[in-house]
Amino acid sequence: MEAMLADTAWAVMLIILPLAGGITCFLWPTLSKTLGLITVAGVALSVAGLGRQMMENGVYRHAVGGWGAPLGIDLFADGLSLLMLIMTALVGLGISFYSRNYFKPQEAIWFWPIWLFLLAALNALFLSADIFNLYVTLELVGLAAVALTALTGHRDALNGAMRYLLAMLLGSLAYLLGVALLYHDSGSVDIVTLAEQVKPNATVWAALALMSAGLALKTALFPLSFWLPPAHASAPAPVSALLSALVVKASFYILLRLWLEIFGFFAEGAATLLGLLGMAAILWGSLQALCQTQVKLLVAYSTVAQIGYLFLAFPLASGSDSMIWGVAVYLAFSHALAKSAMFLAAGNLVRFGGHDRIADLDRVVQRLPLTVSAFALAGVSIMGLPPSGGFVGKWLLLEAAMVQGRWDLAAVMMIGSLLAAGYVFKVLGYAFTEAEVSHNAKTVPASMEWAALLLAIGAILLGFMAPEILSLTRMTVSSGAGGAAP
Amino acid sequence: MEVITWLEWAFDAVLSVGLLWLAWRALASPDLFKAIVLFVSFGLLMALAWVRLDAPDIALAEAAIGAGLTGALLLAALARLRAIAFKDTSVPPPQFSKPQFLHWLLIFFLLWLGAGLGYAIWVLPPYSTGLSVAVAAHLDASGVSNPVTAVLLNFRAYDTMLEMIVLLMALLGIWSLGGFPPHTDMPTGSVLDTFSRLLVPVFILVAAYLLWIGADAPGGAFQAGSVLGAAGVLLLLSGWRPRVSLTQWPLKLALAAGSSAFVIMGLLTILYEGQLLAYPAAQAGMLILFLESLATISIGATLAALFLGRSSDHEENQ
Repeated sequence: MEAMLADTAWAVMLIILPLAGGITCFLWPTLSKTLGLITVAGVALSVAGLGRQMMENGVYRHAVGGWGAPLGIDLFADGLSLLMLIMTALVGLGISFYSRNYFKPQEAIWFWPIWLFLLAALNALFLSADIFNLYVTLELVGLAAVALTALTGHRDALNGAMRYLLAMLLGSLAYLLGVALLYHDSGSVDIVTLAEQVKPNATVWAALALMSAGLALKTALFPLSFWLPPAHASAPAPVSALLSALVVKASFYILLRLWLEIFGFFAEGAATLLGLLGMAAILWGSLQALCQTQVKLLVAYSTVAQIGYLFLAFPLASGSDSMIWGVAVYLAFSHALAKSAMFLAAGNLVRFGGHDRIADLDRVVQRLPLTVSAFALAGVSIMGLPPSGGFVGKWLLLEAAMVQGRWDLAAVMMIGSLLAAGYVFKVLGYAFTEAEVSHNAKTVPASMEWAALLLAIGAILLGFMAPEILSLTRMTVSSGAGGAAP
Repeated sequence: MEVITWLEWAFDAVLSVGLLWLAWRALASPDLFKAIVLFVSFGLLMALAWVRLDAPDIALAEAAIGAGLTGALLLAALARLRAIAFKDTSVPPPQFSKPQFLHWLLIFFLLWLGAGLGYAIWVLPPYSTGLSVAVAAHLDASGVSNPVTAVLLNFRAYDTMLEMIVLLMALLGIWSLGGFPPHTDMPTGSVLDTFSRLLVPVFILVAAYLLWIGADAPGGAFQAGSVLGAAGVLLLLSGWRPRVSLTQWPLKLALAAGSSAFVIMGLLTILYEGQLLAYPAAQAGMLILFLESLATISIGATLAALFLGRSSDHEENQ
């Protein structure tokens, strides 16, 4: 039993299992709800299995087809990838649990297969070490995300989804052109080989610009974030949660990987630019969030702002501190938990009152205490108050900025936190006060309230587990905790 | 010899200018129907360009998908748009009035981008072997002798597995929207009717040939599948509709066959070889043919189903 657990190719299961589940859901739509939940649970167990293997053997590598890079494709996982996989599994579990009672039957038959394909694509993306394979996974993630956004078929949703689709395609094509240039320049699409061979020249700079721009568009880095608020606000609540928590992190992860392995060594000027855009995103996104009158749009703009924090890692890391990438991934993790909780809570508010106008929330705290608690706890992490995951992540970023004398970054981070407090309390304030219009209230299933609350509690607990998680991110090829896996 | 080189240069020049001209005309045409026709001609010229670049596999795919099926899909979308526009005249056409300076900013940005990319491509080494040496060295172990098929179905079969899912995903996305409004069946002329009766068997034969030849020469699942899809589109155009019983299980199985085959193969190879999609060397050729056959069926069915644009589940719910 012990040997079987250690030998199973858990990383491959992370991809094959949701693919098989998705196809089965497509063939037998009536089974999809049960089957979907079982599959997501299976994926979570597989992540646990992979984590166990990596604790013993260090970084994970699997040569698909037995060829090995650069001829074949390698699956690869180090601490950063593992953390993203854990994030996907946890948030995925919470959202699946929530979705069980959210969708009408005719929506559910499409939601489950598409979500399982999205899950497979996300796992494949976090496990990839090949820039062309990353493109394929990115394409699958994008298509699935657009399809989920349009699921309700409302006019707003279709409009948002169409913009989203066009932005996704433009981003993918820019990235693909960069891949072609790098392949022609270095004769490989394997990241390790590229890292050895790439020397800064005009072609590589063009590839860097194209790939960074394409991925920044997909991650919704200001000012390329124009597509995000309409898409994320008009999608069904569990889908908004998936988009904000996981999908934007996927393209961010690719960008991080490329800089960590290939571009980071020579592109300091570009890193400064990404940092500047990140600062602008924090200020603009937070101010926009503060001005919103609807909960879902507010939460969507908050995503634009929080993505800005992730991009502050680029200028900070180029100043000799590579540990900062671990902090960025940790922050992405805590944002994923908090933001999915917020969107699910917003979904409960919509289900309860039939609208999400902030001014008409009408003492909703008395009738949906769990939902409002979830929103408040997630807000604690978004604001960066202790003891949440958001606090630890932002504190470490702030510390790095101060050590490097980047007072501008530090100032923007603090202003961003103040503004975040402003928009979170705006919602909470109206949740406690009486509105002029009263509700024609509907009941919200308990599972939907609990799913939001559990994710929010996760975002807080993450703060207590910071030392373990940050030490996990230090598991790299060079650290070699026991050498590479066979 | 001199004359031939000169002729080749002249041909390439005409081709390049023609491509640019067609692309510009297609973009600038206010008449959507004309734009689609121009787009199809662009696809055909593009296929020629791929032939000139010694990439017959891509040329086949470009002609079948880029020109043929995309053109058919665009025309079908246009027909449905017109049907809606006739019914619903309340929505005014959108007016695009952007400030002039944004216009110039965009042009400046695009010129700058074009110049930068042009320079980056100018300084590229003229010939890059890439991975072709490695592919050639391992070709014998791949089970096929066409390097493109070897890459797609063996060395990088994992990418192809995900691509099959992309195809299924695209169809799911379209079906989840509820599909197109019901297509009005127009009486088809007897010429189209007779022609499709004659052509469809030929298409199926061509698809089978492309699938089989893919192991040794340009061809393979994607080209064969798009020819099969084209046969389906032709049938649909001539007014044929699959019986309701056919659009249930048989259609679903055909759509999922390719991706299921890859997933099952992935599971089996993990179990028996310990590595994802690692075929035992002796059976590699046979397994590739098996995967490609099912992939062909799925690609053809998916492309035709995109044209049909409506799921059976949706009709059940109506």
